[in-house]
Formats: sequence, C-alpha cells, structure tokens
Amino acid sequence: MSLAFANPRRFLNVARIAIPWVAVIGVVLSGIGFYAAFAFAPADYQQGETVRIMYIHVPSAWLSMACYGLMAISSIGTLVWRHPLADVSAKAIAPIGAAFTFLCLITGSLWGRPMWGTWWVWDARLTSVLVLFLIYCGILALWNAYEDPARAGRAAAVMTLVGAINLPIVKFSVDWWNTLHQPASVFRMGGPTIDRSMLWPLLYVAIGLTFLMLALHLAAMRNEILRRRVRTLGLIAASTESLGPSA
Amino acid sequence: MIDDPHFGFILAAYLIAALVFVGLVSWIVTDYRLQKRTLEQLEASGVRRRSDSEV
Repeated sequence: MSLAFANPRRFLNVARIAIPWVAVIGVVLSGIGFYAAFAFAPADYQQGETVRIMYIHVPSAWLSMACYGLMAISSIGTLVWRHPLADVSAKAIAPIGAAFTFLCLITGSLWGRPMWGTWWVWDARLTSVLVLFLIYCGILALWNAYEDPARAGRAAAVMTLVGAINLPIVKFSVDWWNTLHQPASVFRMGGPTIDRSMLWPLLYVAIGLTFLMLALHLAAMRNEILRRRVRTLGLIAASTESLGPSA
Repeated sequence: MIDDPHFGFILAAYLIAALVFVGLVSWIVTDYRLQKRTLEQLEASGVRRRSDSEV
C-alpha cells in the first residue's frame, strides 16, 4: 500500500481530499471531549478542579510519543526502503511532535505547581520528556543544517533512530524508578484506573487530537513536497541562466 | 470552577495550548500559500521539470 502513495503527485491528490475531512473529524471529536471534560466530568476528590488540566496534558504526552514513533518508522523507510515520501513524512512530523512535547511539559508544570508545590522536579519521567523535547529540537536543527534534503533526511533518520531509545525510557520511567510523577493510569496491565466519567472525555480528546495531528502531518507533508518542487525549479532556472541565452 | 483557587493555572494551560495550536496551523497555512505562490511564479516564467514536460 505504501508504494501506491510513493508517487508525490498521487499523494498530493489524496492529501487534498483527506486533509479537510481528517481535520473536521479531529475538531468534532476533540470538541466533544473538551466540552464533556468541563461540563460533565467531575472534579477529582484530591486534585479538585485542577484535574481539568489533565484533559490537555495527557493527550499531549501520548501524541508527543506517537509523533516520535511515526518519525522513527518514517526514518526506517528512509534508510532501509528509500521510500520517496519517507523523509518528507519524517521532516513534516518533527515540528508537530515538538509542539506536543512542549505542551506536555508546560501543562504538566502548570499542574505540578498547585498539586506538588513545585513547577519542576528532576524525576525520571519529567527529565526523559525534556530529553525527548531536546531530541526534537536537535532533529529540527539537523534538517536545517543541510541544503540538500536527501542528505539531511539520512542524517536526521540516523539521529531519530538513535533517539528512539528514549521512548521506552519515557513510557516505563515511572515503573523503573521511584518518581514523583504518578504511574500509568490508562494504558496499563489490568485496565485503566481512572473513573469512566473522566476516562471517556479524555479518550475523545485524545482521539480528536490524533486526527488533528494527522491532518497537520498531511498538510506539512504537502508543503514539503511543494518546497522540494520549488527548489528543483529554482535549480533548473539558475542553471539555465548560467548557461546563457545560447543554451 | 472560576472560584477555584487554581483557576488561573487551568486557564493558563488551555490558553497556551490554544496559542500553540493556532501557531502551528497558521505556520502550515502560511507556508502552503508561500510555496504555492513561488511555484506558480516559477512555472509562469517558463521553468519546467523534465517529468512535467513528459506528461
């Protein structure tokens, strides 16, 4: 199936139709989720109203890792199969993943101040998410360090796959080390520990934001394909000019 | 909820989230328009890729 979309022109045709639909589904689902989070979900018996921050913090945390996972799969596509759209996908998802990681850190800090009494602690979960954000920043810098997108793609792919070792560290940090951050309460053996009245709005927001992330990813991939066409035409124009009118 | 002593933290979290989303969407839309306009200008000036002329 991946080969069917290997042609950038075919991808652009599919993206043109898919982007608005995926975005609308994302807005509707996350809208329902946020409305339910404020209108129906109760305040927590310990956290009080501050639990509302969880409805943006937790999906941001999940998506920060999902984006990195998508970037790692795309990087394998770049290095192993040399799929024409793999490095386009990897480059397009990097700023989106960085944005979700930034949101996860900021909203976590805004939750931590009233609940833990501090903006930040150097525990394993918080530190590994900060490392994830720094890896995203490093990959974005690497993409901009090369003029040739193919060379940049290979270098970024290697860095992405090396950095992927941080994903299980983020996920299992709360199990491997004694952390201030609470252990997993949704994706865990034995099922979620969150009450259903809080779980379903959280899942609606998470699924909705996942659709929005996919819409943004497709749109950013479309931009990157256009950017590469502009670059190619710019090089053709420059070489034609340098050869002069006789060429 | 507005009476909650931590309301400011909740508001700040959602305002920052909204800013990040608006920023991300604006950047992608602006970039799309810029790339499309540049591409159209190059094509209007007669520059073509070999693969385009074969189609």
